[in-house]
Amino acid sequence: MRVTIRPYKNIDWFTVAIYSLLVVFGWLNIYAANFDPEATELLRSSSEPAKQLIWIGLSLIMIGALFLIDSKFFVEFAYIFFGISILLLLMALLFGVEINGAKAWFQLGPVRFQPAELTKVAAGLALARVMSRYNFQMNSWRYVLKMGMVVFLPAIIILMQNDTGSALVYFAFFLVFFREGMSPVVLFLGALAAIVLVLSLLYPTVYIMADLFLLFAGYVYFEKQKKAALIIVGITALVFILIFGVSRLLEKDFGFTIPFLAGVAASTLYLTGQVIVKRLPGIGIGLLLLWGMLGYTYSTHYVFDSVLSDYQKNRILVMLGLENDPQGIGYNVNQSKIAIGSGGFYGKGFLQGTQTKFDFVPEQSTDFIFCTVGEEWGFLGTSMVILLFLILLFRILFLAERQHSAFSRIYGYGVAAIFFMHIAINIGMTIGLAPVIGIPLPFFSYGGSSFWGFTILLFIFLKLDTNRAELIR
Amino acid sequence: MGIKQKIVFRLAIIYLMFGGLVLLILFELFNLKVIEAAHWKEKARTLESSSIVIEANRGNILDENGQKISLSVPSYRIYMDLHAHGLTSHLFNSGIDSLSLCLSRFFGDKSASAYKRQLVRARKNGERYHLVNGRKISYMDLQQVRDFPIFRQGKNTGGFIPKQYDERRHPFGSLASRTIGKLYGEKTKGGMVGLERAYDNVLKGTNGVSTWKRIAGSWIPEEEIPPHDGKDLVTTLNIGLQDVAEQSLRKQLKQHDAHHGVAILMEVETGAVKAMVNLYRARPGVYIEDHFNYAIGEAMEPGSTFKLASMIAALEDGAVRLTDSIDAGNGSYAFYDQIMTDSHHGGFGKITVRDAFEKSSNIGISRIVFDNYKDNPRRFVNRLYSIGLNKPLGVEIKGEDPPVIKYPGDPSWSGVTLPWMSIGYEVKMTPLQTLAFYNAVANNGEMVRPMFVKGISQHGKKLKEFDPVVLNPSICSVATLEKVQDLLKGVVERGTATNIRNNTYKIAGKTGTAQLARGASGYDGKDGVQYLASFAGYFPADRPMYSCIVAVNSPSNNVYYGNVVAGKVFREIADRVYALSYEKLPESSSAKEVNEGVYPWSKGGPEDELGVIFDELGLPVQDRNLNTEWVSTKALEHTVKFRSKSIPRTIVPQTKGMGAKDAVAILENRGLKVAISGVGKVVKQSIKPGRPIEKGKTIVIYLE
Repeated sequence: MRVTIRPYKNIDWFTVAIYSLLVVFGWLNIYAANFDPEATELLRSSSEPAKQLIWIGLSLIMIGALFLIDSKFFVEFAYIFFGISILLLLMALLFGVEINGAKAWFQLGPVRFQPAELTKVAAGLALARVMSRYNFQMNSWRYVLKMGMVVFLPAIIILMQNDTGSALVYFAFFLVFFREGMSPVVLFLGALAAIVLVLSLLYPTVYIMADLFLLFAGYVYFEKQKKAALIIVGITALVFILIFGVSRLLEKDFGFTIPFLAGVAASTLYLTGQVIVKRLPGIGIGLLLLWGMLGYTYSTHYVFDSVLSDYQKNRILVMLGLENDPQGIGYNVNQSKIAIGSGGFYGKGFLQGTQTKFDFVPEQSTDFIFCTVGEEWGFLGTSMVILLFLILLFRILFLAERQHSAFSRIYGYGVAAIFFMHIAINIGMTIGLAPVIGIPLPFFSYGGSSFWGFTILLFIFLKLDTNRAELIR
Repeated sequence: MGIKQKIVFRLAIIYLMFGGLVLLILFELFNLKVIEAAHWKEKARTLESSSIVIEANRGNILDENGQKISLSVPSYRIYMDLHAHGLTSHLFNSGIDSLSLCLSRFFGDKSASAYKRQLVRARKNGERYHLVNGRKISYMDLQQVRDFPIFRQGKNTGGFIPKQYDERRHPFGSLASRTIGKLYGEKTKGGMVGLERAYDNVLKGTNGVSTWKRIAGSWIPEEEIPPHDGKDLVTTLNIGLQDVAEQSLRKQLKQHDAHHGVAILMEVETGAVKAMVNLYRARPGVYIEDHFNYAIGEAMEPGSTFKLASMIAALEDGAVRLTDSIDAGNGSYAFYDQIMTDSHHGGFGKITVRDAFEKSSNIGISRIVFDNYKDNPRRFVNRLYSIGLNKPLGVEIKGEDPPVIKYPGDPSWSGVTLPWMSIGYEVKMTPLQTLAFYNAVANNGEMVRPMFVKGISQHGKKLKEFDPVVLNPSICSVATLEKVQDLLKGVVERGTATNIRNNTYKIAGKTGTAQLARGASGYDGKDGVQYLASFAGYFPADRPMYSCIVAVNSPSNNVYYGNVVAGKVFREIADRVYALSYEKLPESSSAKEVNEGVYPWSKGGPEDELGVIFDELGLPVQDRNLNTEWVSTKALEHTVKFRSKSIPRTIVPQTKGMGAKDAVAILENRGLKVAISGVGKVVKQSIKPGRPIEKGKTIVIYLE
């Protein structure tokens, strides 16, 4: 197969333009976040904006180099990249320096480097390689194991580095699986599990169990077993009332959960009979899932209390509004909301922000850079940034779908999914929608590793896109 | 579903996810920035400026000689933020052992390992305001603790949080502490009792506010309203006399196992209270001052000391003459169904009016009053009222118990009220009210309000002086006054209080031995009869300078006579006062020696103040206009020479020989922090004079 020898042909300039806009605007905000009205120099060489400018400049050279590399190279070396990046992660874990509690950095003289930012690229490439095999099958155990390894191996090491945020990003790859044929049920159950987790912290367990049961009954109803659906609801209600009443008569307090579970058990007996007699495997699996979810709900409190660490719990509780602690965990979010909210509709103007300078907002040029946008550029500015990101995501999806080779397409989806995860969590966190998880906002957050990581991630895809008409193997 | 629809379906879901989340974020942003904008803007504004209350220092309370008897001293409690921003595990683990050891050595209450356990547990629990030790430590100690490992990293890194408390200290311990009063625990509430409460507005000062604006990463002061420190209260109390009074009263109370006792010493002319003691038996043998102000707050039946009032009334109305004789009978006399007795065994028989008073015959005095006023008791009571005995004194210390003097026609007025009233029963007066009455007699009939505060000053400068307040310019005629003055002298010369008579100076006064009414059980309760032994009077009798009352409540039953129990205390106080006033007047011969030709020189001081002094003394001064703030003086043959004492602002000045106020002023003006140790004049300073000044450094000056 011939691969083009004109490396800069077919570049998607639209994406490059959006990228450029984001980078320029991002840098302006880093400049603003560090702006000192009393400083005489325009730009001190040791300051954050100056360093970021160097990273951006260097990345231009790197982009140029990326386009010179043959697309095939990324396919061939995907596993090797992956191996190297895993090795780097392990080395960081062993020999790295600790910053903000995460042992995820190498220190090389004045430069610090976080391998996890590049691992995303390697994982994306390796995943694309695994899933673009011609005999790839979503449901084959061999592939599930491979995919799982590519996604979870780096995630686990990063988790061990104590960088929960970066590890969480790897869940983004489930979107890729979904596109490539994973059952929507998995996505649905994943979402359901997350929702149940949150709800079970907010409401008594039995309410959520009842909702899950009703959801299941609805499923049975729409599986054309209307009678069975009504019967199981009836049985459950009856048994519940009966046991609850008896417990009251005997003056023993079983609570609500035990009578309810007894009711569900009774209706399960009935439904199992139906499943066997009428041969309804769908409902049978559904029944298993229901009990799985009930058990999961029951154990969430245990999980929350025992598995999560205190600060993670606190962050979740603060986000859910269950704990109000403006000086402690909630401090960051509160300051961030003040900064964003005080910007109003039009913003205070470039360099006019007061909250995001002067250290009111912690991590103001890295994780909380979006505050500067919010404060100085107002609702207009933030909307523009978000829309630019949305356009970028949609553009990547669009480009991915036009690839002839599966490898490029899958990689493209990986890129989109990772960007999406970062954008959603980072911005969500600054406005209090998501728990405070320290992950950078692509192209905005200060930091060479993350900037290069995102740039390489995007431009490998753009390089692959230049060969979109060909099959890269 | 075909493969194409399947993919489209999946794509749609992904697009929807992306789009939906972005919409959610946009919605929330709109919420924050448009709908809730005002709220967040206001919050931002409060973050950009802040105002800090600068607390005013509470003024001191001084005795009449300017000794501080109540002052504010800062003390500190050590708290620790175990999750301080910079307190990393490394820092904590590497410093915890030595910190624990330091704490253990410093506080000495727990072992180092116990401190370590405590702090490690607190860190595990995430305590951000952990009380390291409950003990309050001084400013000097704080400097030491501040240097402990971990702590020396400061608040943000080492989690070191000293919390300041302003403690009110009484350098003279219990002396006059009830009169001085105390503060509420909660600082903003100020004074609770005593002078601290009465003059709270003077002492507390006004807090200042400083507003800061955050500009370019640092806080810039924007506006500062400085605090106005509280002013000092110059009381009339004399801490030396207070000491004498408290000691001798305490001794007597202990000896007689009394329930409580009061002693008040007052200057006759002005009503200035020199000492006021209130002792209460906390447990057998232990008497505490800080319990209740009985002198002001407890009106009781005064007993025989009230006979003075009856005597004045009778003499004023011309009802009797001192030489008239009266039949006191065999020691018991019936007014209707009530029997009155005299303590004299077998009765006094026929005695003169003078004897009836001096020997304190109940029957004698009550018969004088009863015989003359039984048809018109109003006349008698009106006399008492015209003296002003029925009116509260209106002293500034809160809680004065108003006197009770019944008036005919009152529901509680009965046939026997008049005779009993005449000897000090069925009336109620506080010791201070009784004293004010005796003081009026000593003061030639002018009743003045007892005063506790003679002025207000600040930094040693007088701001305000209080004049005595006359309550009644003349309580009776001069003739009557002379008679009763003579009677009071007679009590000591010939009467019931001969035990306190002495040859050096004369005392005039009256004993009182009242049986105490004890609620429902009347005068003769289950515990037997309780007594109030008192002595009120003044001295020297011929030229009264001080009046004094001593009242001892419930002395043991064996000894309860006013002359024995209270008189002794009176005598001890009077002796001491007399000795002190004697010392105050220097021998004229010794004064002469200095006067011959040699001009006095003084310690160095502020030029203007010294100038005023020398002018006042009429001493010629050379080189008055030196234009320097501080001068030293030298005595020449015919003048006193001022020499400029310039103190460069960059070096530590010599403060030896200066008073505390001047030394502090000089040192603080140069940016040093001053800690004072001792009282008197500076004898030593911790940083040698001539050393360059490091601003903010603490210098200790030792006074003697």
